[in-house]
Amino acid sequence: MLIPHPLLGPRDAQEFTYLGDAMMIDRPDGLAEGAEAAFCDYVFQRDNPAGLHRELWFHEQGDRSWLVVTRNTVTHEILGAELARDVALARRATDTPADQGDAQ
Amino acid sequence: MSDLKPISALGAAAPRLLTLGTLTLRENPGLGLASLALRRGGTAPSPFGLTLPDPGGWAASGAYAAFWTGPDQWMIEAEGRGEEDFAAALKAEAPGCSITEQTDGWVAFEITSVAGGAPLSRLMEKLVNVDAAGFGPGHATRTGLEHMSVFLIRRAEDRLAIIGMRTLAGSLWHAIETAAGRLVAV
Repeated sequence: MLIPHPLLGPRDAQEFTYLGDAMMIDRPDGLAEGAEAAFCDYVFQRDNPAGLHRELWFHEQGDRSWLVVTRNTVTHEILGAELARDVALARRATDTPADQGDAQ
Repeated sequence: MSDLKPISALGAAAPRLLTLGTLTLRENPGLGLASLALRRGGTAPSPFGLTLPDPGGWAASGAYAAFWTGPDQWMIEAEGRGEEDFAAALKAEAPGCSITEQTDGWVAFEITSVAGGAPLSRLMEKLVNVDAAGFGPGHATRTGLEHMSVFLIRRAEDRLAIIGMRTLAGSLWHAIETAAGRLVAV
């Protein structure tokens, strides 16, 4: 299986390790109201779709970047990969226009 | 205090050298290494006159060279400066960047061919799952080699460097020696 790395081109999937659903990028705020329930969902609740799935892969034996890989769980076809950093930064830019970005 | 004798990564007083057919394997103890990472929003410096390469690239300038290791991150090589504080010299060349000494974490094996690039491509095909045909001079990448994480650098058509973890120097040499030996046997 080959993963189309956005910077390095097609790479052997054996160079990667799998983490799980890409929803883990959206970590809840631990100090907000209802944080306990939000973290319960964040840690334990996962969809298990038959079909398209966005998931996090780590290029461990490569440039050590995290990727968001879109994969079809039925056919194992990989439809795309993007840097998780870009995904997180883009999401943060839309969520918080008043730039709280450097807080992390 | 007793006399302390320096040894190479493979545990000998002198760096190991081996010729197998058209390929020569050489342990390179003199290679100074330091990593350079940009801080957030920083601009790439040009230490020692180097132009820091794009993803998958390697660039050399005199005794210095750089290869890309990750987004906004490079490894800087200095030939013949493995026994100095090379990271401090690099720090002076790249103010505002994060510099980490790397020399003693790695072992560098230089592989030279006397028959052009073909034997090196065949060696790569045996050792790593990287497109050897597309891995021409100026390419560098990190990949897995017999479950070890290594950097490959194509320094020239007839020269390939493999940089691996120093604690695994013996296993890495064994893997390369075995593959190169089988090329000769064919």
